[in-house]
Amino acid sequence: MTVSARPTGPTHRPAPATRSGPGPWGVALRTAPALLLVALAVAGPWLAPHAVDAPVTAPYAEPGGDAALGGDQLGRDVLSRLLAGGRQLIGTSLLVALLVTGIAAVLGAVSALRPAVGRFVERAADVLMLLPAVLGILLISLSWPDGDRFAVVTAAVVLGVPYAIRLTAGAAAPIAASGYVEAATAGGEGLWHLVVREVLPNLRATLLALFGLRFVAAVYLVATAGFLQVGPQPPTADWALMIRENSAGILLNPWAVVAPSIAIGLLAMSVNLAAVALVPQAGRKAVTAL
Amino acid sequence: MAGSLRGAARQPVTPAERPRADRPAPDAGASERGAPGGLARAGSAAARLAGLLARRAVLLAVLLALVFGAVELLPGDAADATAERGESAADIEARRHLLGLDRPVLERFADWMAALPTGDLGTSARGESVAALLSTPFPNTLLLGGLALLVTVAVSLALGCWAALRPGGAVDRAVSGSATAVLAVPEFVVAVALVLVFSQWAGWLPAVTIADAAGTPASWDMLVLPVFALAIPQIGWNTRIVRAALADEATAPHVETAVIDGLPRHRVLSHHLLPGALPAIAAGLATSTGMLLGGAVVVETIFNYPGVGSVLAGAVTDRDGPLIAGVVALTGAVISGVLLLADLVRAKASGGRG
Repeated sequence: MTVSARPTGPTHRPAPATRSGPGPWGVALRTAPALLLVALAVAGPWLAPHAVDAPVTAPYAEPGGDAALGGDQLGRDVLSRLLAGGRQLIGTSLLVALLVTGIAAVLGAVSALRPAVGRFVERAADVLMLLPAVLGILLISLSWPDGDRFAVVTAAVVLGVPYAIRLTAGAAAPIAASGYVEAATAGGEGLWHLVVREVLPNLRATLLALFGLRFVAAVYLVATAGFLQVGPQPPTADWALMIRENSAGILLNPWAVVAPSIAIGLLAMSVNLAAVALVPQAGRKAVTAL
Repeated sequence: MAGSLRGAARQPVTPAERPRADRPAPDAGASERGAPGGLARAGSAAARLAGLLARRAVLLAVLLALVFGAVELLPGDAADATAERGESAADIEARRHLLGLDRPVLERFADWMAALPTGDLGTSARGESVAALLSTPFPNTLLLGGLALLVTVAVSLALGCWAALRPGGAVDRAVSGSATAVLAVPEFVVAVALVLVFSQWAGWLPAVTIADAAGTPASWDMLVLPVFALAIPQIGWNTRIVRAALADEATAPHVETAVIDGLPRHRVLSHHLLPGALPAIAAGLATSTGMLLGGAVVVETIFNYPGVGSVLAGAVTDRDGPLIAGVVALTGAVISGVLLLADLVRAKASGGRG
């Protein structure tokens, strides 16, 4: 009854002829761009030719000479800020994806084993569906003014977990009903043992796929929060913040805006490509909690 | 309390909500038309509709309680936030009393909820009526989001069907591939790209929205770029859903029969595939509504569009909790309405089969 845009759902359906899942090499090939980009962004600050917070040219200077991509609104080197500006976005997104996947794994297994918890989680997801994630982030960061990026992380986790639990609970349901779990229950094993030793080890593939999808959703949310100036504050080098700060000078030095836009766009696309490759079936909901 | 809440969902009275008021009606009519037969059938359909409505209303009420609670946790309140320099503690206390902020939380929450159905969204931190503050921007945002939803529906249905007609072909791969590529890109990145190409370089469309005297966008071409900035990621998202729902439906026995009977492909698509795929497609579009309204906040700041985005930006700086709660209440109501439509599509589809 619950509206959820998950057309193929957790139950297996015959895969459409167009998309038989990629083989192991296919998966490696499709995850490579994302891994490369993440590695580049993490190493970026060390590769930057200039300091990110000191002017090297005139404001909005055109590319050339010392600054390969020109200057930003304060004359700082766009290339250096571009190289330095992805690490925090990716780090925060990874943290969100890890937390959401971890929490959803445990609570999903619990919901599959204890239907009352499962029903509560369903209702929570139904309620949070009414709150656009962007508004949720504004609300939480407003309630927690000094929270900085942790307010964003909290908001993204709170808003993402209920949807993720739907996925993990759906995948855990057949396992919870299986013979060996029943045997363990009959043997008097506690809930924690059932979750950690019996159910979760069998959810590895689902959890890996879920992690990819949550990372996609987190990149979207963290970047959007950065653009709304919730989270990283000037003079931090941050792709989303660069777009916001330099949009006034888009005609003078388009690269100050275009370069970080391309960076975020490429990151979102490559990560999504990787996440889709990790999902065993086609058409699974990719960006659930947005 | 439940009665008043249901009222809140059924009769939106704020001017801000007016564009929504006529939406549930046609579909309710359609669902009754879809249930042929006597009064009993109509009665059960009405009961089912009431049940769906009540469920959505309760979920919305829970969200509002959560939002009210979050605003309650704010450090300081509206009386502090709007304090002028040099105001004494006694003055602030007096205004707190004037705004009714010294009353118990539950009492204020009950009052706030009871007032919602009458179109009263409470009082902002500056002492203005929230409903009045939102009466122009919110319909503008609804216009933007509604147009983006229409574009999304049209384009994603067309692309999804086009791809589904030749499964595995070049068109299918191109459509599915680009849909996957764009669906995760944040709206503000799309907006920057559109502005750069269509406004700065080609000069075809304005990059900035100018409001006329009534506070609405002065001309239609100012809407084009914001609408597409919002719609493009959602088109990617929904095209995949349409494509996947059609592929799922294609394995159904009645579709195979139709294909074996030699019906033309477009007829199989329109008469055999789409009706069954509709609930999944409707659910996908309904989830896009929240994305569109959330994304609108971001896109509006880029295009200087006179919607709730600019109001919210101010509200965040002023730490104006009641104003944000009002925006969340309105968007929550709109999303509830669209989800209810998706519920109805699903109920009708399952009713038709059963």
